[in-house]
Amino acid sequence: MRDKIDFSLVGALLRKQRQERRYVFSKGHFDVLGFLLQIALIATFAAFFVVFFGRFIDIYLTIKTHSLPDAPQRLYELLTIAYMLIIVFMTVSGMTAITREMFLADDLKLFSAMPVGAKTLFVAKLISIYRSQFVYSFVALLAVNLTAAIATGQGAWFYCMTVLMIFLLPVITIAFASILALPFYAIRRFLQSRFVLMFIVVTLLTAGAFVLYSFVLGAVKDLLLGDDIRYFFNEGVMNGIRTACQYFFPANWIASFVLKHELVWSITGIVLVTAACAVVAMLIIRSILTRVLQARISGDENFMYPEQDVTPLGSSFTALLRKEFVQIFRTPSYMFSYFSIAVLMPLMVYFCIDVGSSLVKTLVGVNVDLELALFLTLLFSALTNVFCATNISREGPMFYSVKALPVSCERVFLSKIFFCMIVSIISQVISAVVLGATGYVSWGVAAFIFAIGTVFSFAQICFATRYDFNHARFSSEEDGEIKESGSTVSTIIVLGMLFAFLIGGVVLIARILLALRLDEAASFGYLTYIIVSVITVVVAVLSFVYLIANIKKKYYEFSGGGLM
Amino acid sequence: MTYCYRCNMSFADDTPRCPGCGAETQPLPPTYMEHSNAISEGRGNALQGRGMPVRGKAERKEVVRVRGLYKKYSKKADWAVTNVTFSCREGEIVGLLGHNGAGKSTTLKCLEGMLPYEKGEIVIDGHDIKREPLAAKASMGFVTDNHAVFIKMTGMQYINFMADVYKVPTELRVKRLKALEQVFQLGDAINNLVSSYSHGMRQKVCMMGSLIHHPKLWILDEPMTGLDPRTMKAVQDFMHKYAAAGNTIIFSSHALNTVAKLCDRVVLIRKGQQINDINVKRIFALNPNFDFEEYFLKNERQD
Repeated sequence: MRDKIDFSLVGALLRKQRQERRYVFSKGHFDVLGFLLQIALIATFAAFFVVFFGRFIDIYLTIKTHSLPDAPQRLYELLTIAYMLIIVFMTVSGMTAITREMFLADDLKLFSAMPVGAKTLFVAKLISIYRSQFVYSFVALLAVNLTAAIATGQGAWFYCMTVLMIFLLPVITIAFASILALPFYAIRRFLQSRFVLMFIVVTLLTAGAFVLYSFVLGAVKDLLLGDDIRYFFNEGVMNGIRTACQYFFPANWIASFVLKHELVWSITGIVLVTAACAVVAMLIIRSILTRVLQARISGDENFMYPEQDVTPLGSSFTALLRKEFVQIFRTPSYMFSYFSIAVLMPLMVYFCIDVGSSLVKTLVGVNVDLELALFLTLLFSALTNVFCATNISREGPMFYSVKALPVSCERVFLSKIFFCMIVSIISQVISAVVLGATGYVSWGVAAFIFAIGTVFSFAQICFATRYDFNHARFSSEEDGEIKESGSTVSTIIVLGMLFAFLIGGVVLIARILLALRLDEAASFGYLTYIIVSVITVVVAVLSFVYLIANIKKKYYEFSGGGLM
Repeated sequence: MTYCYRCNMSFADDTPRCPGCGAETQPLPPTYMEHSNAISEGRGNALQGRGMPVRGKAERKEVVRVRGLYKKYSKKADWAVTNVTFSCREGEIVGLLGHNGAGKSTTLKCLEGMLPYEKGEIVIDGHDIKREPLAAKASMGFVTDNHAVFIKMTGMQYINFMADVYKVPTELRVKRLKALEQVFQLGDAINNLVSSYSHGMRQKVCMMGSLIHHPKLWILDEPMTGLDPRTMKAVQDFMHKYAAAGNTIIFSSHALNTVAKLCDRVVLIRKGQQINDINVKRIFALNPNFDFEEYFLKNERQD
């Protein structure tokens, strides 16, 4: 029998995916708070982007080369670079989409045993990958092109071609992604069992992203402070940009095309690239699909660990701590949120205080480094400590197994809190050392910030652990990994940020206002220490009381989590 | 309903003679408690432990006592378990039998202290699971139906974890691990991540972890599912030996042959209710041709 594409079956497969996606929005599973938080974050990011990108376009278009302004050339360069970044971003997202749909999706195993033709499956998978890429293309191209169009007064052609490119860009990026998908998956599988290496790679990559972020933050500061950013774009830099843009294929063709420059050349380029990409994408994705269906390249690598022996008798508390570490360190998403983020938190504090301190000094003329350091430490602690929001849920069915062991509930909870505190304290120590060493605050103040950060983390960890226990939703995933955590994570984020603002934000604003109104603001410095200490300690005590309230009874009566 | 006090068997169709021993049956007392009392008054069978020195019932310590157990999963839900009552003594192997959703796993989870229960009493080795949970749990080992193990640990790490929790001294854990390895034969795979194990291998490591402290009571939920025939045989032999050493084993299963072959007694559960507690060993001793499967299915069909 010939393998033909069965479009009704394609529809059924896509419907299945849609239904699975809708499940998160169903009653009892829909995280309203998380959804609103996400919308708010996207809206803030979009607003931030539009405002600063618009302002940057204004400045960039006036940059002269050979003492002559060349706005059309500048716009072409700007759009080429922007499209290049979008292509890179979408290639990465495409690789994850292909990995998700081809290698990690459970449905392939099931479909390989069903009367579903490979071609039908291939079309369904391709549509699914295209759909996810289309969303990125839509958001990114619309944001860039609309801002550019408004800032430079573009005509109908620009808008129409933007719409066309929104549909074409996913095809191009899927092809690039499909070429890289196999090596990407091979690296992923290689790192899967080499946890230390994976930790180093992931942490370095994230650190790189933060450095990039700090660079953007610095540029934003320069824009805000009105520093002449044009000095950065001297003749040498502009020559470099012009040369680079000549080689940024196919981003430069897309820029030429939407700007109606060298139409024949750019259209030919785009048509050829799109056609070639479509063929490449289809061929490679089909070969991946065939390989997956035939060889079932999924599951864990058969990695042999060094021979181990029985260990000497240790306490049950140590065993629980070790278990916490192993479970977290060997689950990539948890390893990232616990360890990588904790290690990188001081970096975020440093970048932000670097920008914030000079910004406040220039704009308001006040030195509020202590308050700013406190505020940033609390804010980033709140975001970093979110890992503890799944302290109970991530146990999955093993929570019940631990419950059946002869270990008291106090010991179980203490091991979790203790482990989270170790991670948090390490992060706080590095952060305080960075603040002290860079001279933003004195060593004494750094010690105070460390103490406040630690107490604040303790409060958040206690609260999050109990909140998660009260609202536990165990994952049915084999390793208990949380894919969809209900409202717990978003609640902990919102509350953490709220308290960070309440404690750090209030003293920061109060100090600025005092400094603006009174000349002797410095003499009110002690107020910061008193307010922050009192509120933080009160919050910590309340959180601890919340954690232990009736815990023993609740623990032994626990039958929640949705697994039993 | 009639009952044979020699075999501890009930018959839904008012059978006048017991198919097991051939004795005349009697009308079943109206409540299960009365029925239990009748057994304890000596009208039922005396327990015959496997390989244990033949001792009187009073000499064999009661390891598990379950009395009037009631459990429901939520206030609005129906009872998952209703008035389950049984006890197990040293050296006994007791099987819990019933169809899917009958309440076997729920009963075992209550026994293990995983789930709370509404009414009743569970005493493990003299310790009430509600009042002295840690002491009760210290004397048992368990294997859950989903063979839950920390899959990010290696097999050896998991066993060390269990040994630490149950406070097994180093020399003992070395000795026991060697003995368990002979039964379960995990080989070099013990150094691999549990996540890379097959279903059967996970079950093996789960069993090894549950036995590292040599528990007085070993509870297993569906232990034979997924095991290869050789391991299944090894596990069955091990269960015999383990019980012969004076330990108690309770397990649930759907495999009637395994239950008939392994158990001293079988507790039948249907729709959360205990419908019988029978001495299969004695029945088979009296009537080797006894059709246990037919008896089970007949009981299952009663509604």
